[in-house]
Amino acid sequence: MSIRVLAALAVADFRERTRRPAYLVTLAAAVALGWLALPPASSLYMIMNAGGYRGIYNSAWTGTGTALAGSLWLMLGGFYVVRGAIARDQRTRVGQILAVTPLRSTGYLAGKFLSNLMVLASMAGALAVTALALQLARGESTAVDPGALLLPYLLLTLPVLAVTAAAAILFDTIPVLRGGLGNIAWFFLWMITAIAGGGVPLGGLGTIGASMRQAMAAQHLRPSEFSVGFTKVAHPLATFTWHGLAASGGFVAGRLVLITATVCLAVLPAAWFGRFDPARARPRRAPAPRGDQEPAPVPAVMTAPGQPTSPARAPACQPLSPATARPGRAAGRLLAGESRILAQGTSRWWWLVAAAINAAALAVPAGLVKPAGASTALLLSAAWIWPVLIWSRLGTQRHENGLDTLLGAYPAARRQLAAEWAAGLALTAAAGIGPLIRMAIAAGCPGVAAWAAGALFIPSLALALGTASRTHRPFQALYVILWYAAVNQVKAADYMGTVLVGGRPAGPSSVMIAALALVLLAAAFIISVARHARR
Amino acid sequence: MLLELDDVTKVFRGGTRGVDGVTLRLGPGLVGLLGPNGAGKSSLMRIAATVTRPTSGRVLFDGADAVTRPDRLRRTLGYLPQDFSVYPHLSAPEFLAYLAAVKGLPAGAARNRIGELLDFFGLAGAGRRPLGSYSGGMLRRVGIAQALLADPAVLIVDEPTAGLDPEERVVVRNLLADLAGDRIVVLSTHIVSDVESVAADIAIMAGGRLLTRGSPASLLRRAEGRVWEMTVPPDAVAPLRERHLVSRMVRTDAGVRVRVLAPAAPAQAAAPAPPDLEDAYLTITQAAAGPVASGAAQARP
Repeated sequence: MSIRVLAALAVADFRERTRRPAYLVTLAAAVALGWLALPPASSLYMIMNAGGYRGIYNSAWTGTGTALAGSLWLMLGGFYVVRGAIARDQRTRVGQILAVTPLRSTGYLAGKFLSNLMVLASMAGALAVTALALQLARGESTAVDPGALLLPYLLLTLPVLAVTAAAAILFDTIPVLRGGLGNIAWFFLWMITAIAGGGVPLGGLGTIGASMRQAMAAQHLRPSEFSVGFTKVAHPLATFTWHGLAASGGFVAGRLVLITATVCLAVLPAAWFGRFDPARARPRRAPAPRGDQEPAPVPAVMTAPGQPTSPARAPACQPLSPATARPGRAAGRLLAGESRILAQGTSRWWWLVAAAINAAALAVPAGLVKPAGASTALLLSAAWIWPVLIWSRLGTQRHENGLDTLLGAYPAARRQLAAEWAAGLALTAAAGIGPLIRMAIAAGCPGVAAWAAGALFIPSLALALGTASRTHRPFQALYVILWYAAVNQVKAADYMGTVLVGGRPAGPSSVMIAALALVLLAAAFIISVARHARR
Repeated sequence: MLLELDDVTKVFRGGTRGVDGVTLRLGPGLVGLLGPNGAGKSSLMRIAATVTRPTSGRVLFDGADAVTRPDRLRRTLGYLPQDFSVYPHLSAPEFLAYLAAVKGLPAGAARNRIGELLDFFGLAGAGRRPLGSYSGGMLRRVGIAQALLADPAVLIVDEPTAGLDPEERVVVRNLLADLAGDRIVVLSTHIVSDVESVAADIAIMAGGRLLTRGSPASLLRRAEGRVWEMTVPPDAVAPLRERHLVSRMVRTDAGVRVRVLAPAAPAQAAAPAPPDLEDAYLTITQAAAGPVASGAAQARP
């Protein structure tokens, strides 16, 4: 495949993505990340802490600081931004047009990889421009050194972005990772990679740290441990001067090998990629027809039973029963319908696992885990991560399935949204009913209150994010981070009462969580009404 | 019962005028809305169905403002959008039951109605099959069924016969004609034969504007004396098409039999032909497109 074809594929895809309003939000997020990475001199937090010091804000430090922050956070957020490139071609049916051209699968995948990388690189570019602007704004060094500013991006950020771009392609081509499960798996993969690299995915901090230590030693300073990530400090850090990384040939070669390997990873799915052939797609999961194995035959034309198919004999519509809509009726059936839509396509195995978690919450002996209530808290955590993919459908399904126009002509839009939220609430309550009963039996009133607040909070968060973004990903990404923090005993993030001190929830009060839930619910309604008003 | 669109205009972001000052008064009966692709028919249908707000102008249902207070019209409205979609994992009865609940139909009435509609549209045999496994024609039938759920007083259907086979199209057209007895029915399409067979009242749109509205007979009069038929040698077709709109061509052993729209006989051999609705439609839309656009259209293959 020629470079021209590859470039045409990548550029068309890049244009398609960057001409959406959401792209501006991602660029704004990159600018905000740069702002966070280079705080004012008086700030009591740091993103890059050089053993109790920070470099003066020259090109080398601002470039390296933002490049490291970019490596860490663009790997996580950028994945959710770029994934879905192949699914989009499937949805728009552009894929089928491409599939009948001489374009090879490797070329198609390489083009998608390049497009992913271009989107991520544009975010890194916004970060680099922010770094330059902040260097000048902070005023500690006004000498601009483009090489020192950009080299960390090329050596540290670019390989991470390449891995992210390739992983997005890989995940898009593996059925089990194509959906929400892939979004969640990426969070944990990112965390493992970041921890393994000491806060910098795919490493590089050691080389940077060694260079800085050398500079500090020359300035008679003795640094402690280096770290990358949001770190609070007791007082503003002292400064030193660092003129940048003098990368060794081995280090550069290692990064080039890494980028080459990611290109191979991106085109690897050509081995199993189906080229948008519906016959090679995984069969749609659907309820099995009752009775016979084969679906019941469907008449080719609209005929009443016992009548021939001749149009001349087609029945008139007169015998239809009267049916008149009445305001305020059918709330229960509306809730049932929304619940069915929310849970549509969910397998029996999913329900079995949910039931098993709840049964375990009821059956585990009280003193098995110390302190008291810890086992219930643990099982509630399990119960309230299991439905994450279903919750993430809230607020998105109408748009996703193309029913906006049809339902726009139906009455009581607010009632529809309320029923959708109530279906989410019912699912949340059902998913966590076991731990609730256990807490109620143990007379754990604070736990029950925290449970109730959590049950309100989760569907409200999902509905607000889903209504605002009309995609699953923001909730999937944000909720998993929040849940992970709560499971790791971060009190401020405990929305379900599972961080226990003396057997009582130690996180934010239940009233506060419930109030936050109501705010989120109100936000969902406001967004929905505003969107409707702009129709 | 009256649905009025009063000087309705819709300007989309970017400044495109999708609908430009359209006024329509719709009482019981069937109105066929014809127009080429991009004429603004679907935008107008969405405005009439309260899905889209007009940039200016009013939509009144029995005198009440349906833009600011749309629910009264929505309760009695059946609407089939051009781009009808479904929840793919639900079966047809489940999907219709959900929409009946959204509409506010009482449970018993909804159950009866859904059963009858499924029987009528030949969908009862599909049982619990998910909608995602339906063919395009079956989905269209589900779409028409949902529009009839609440015994609508106003029925707005946008390209209802798209994806249906000829027999199904006949059934849908007859159904619409049946329903139009005591209801407002608006049938939007670019298939002239669909309108011709059921509508006694036809509106034609192009470029977002309402060009004309009238009975088929009054529209036919607009094309009288402008329709010609003749047989020409194959190499004479191209020059003919550069000068006139050739609406039909059939290759025969004697040459190419052509039907031409022209204000005067295009050749000595041309014989006048009685116009049909397609001729009238083409005459009206070509006249509205103006001399430049008309010339461009004439050059179409």
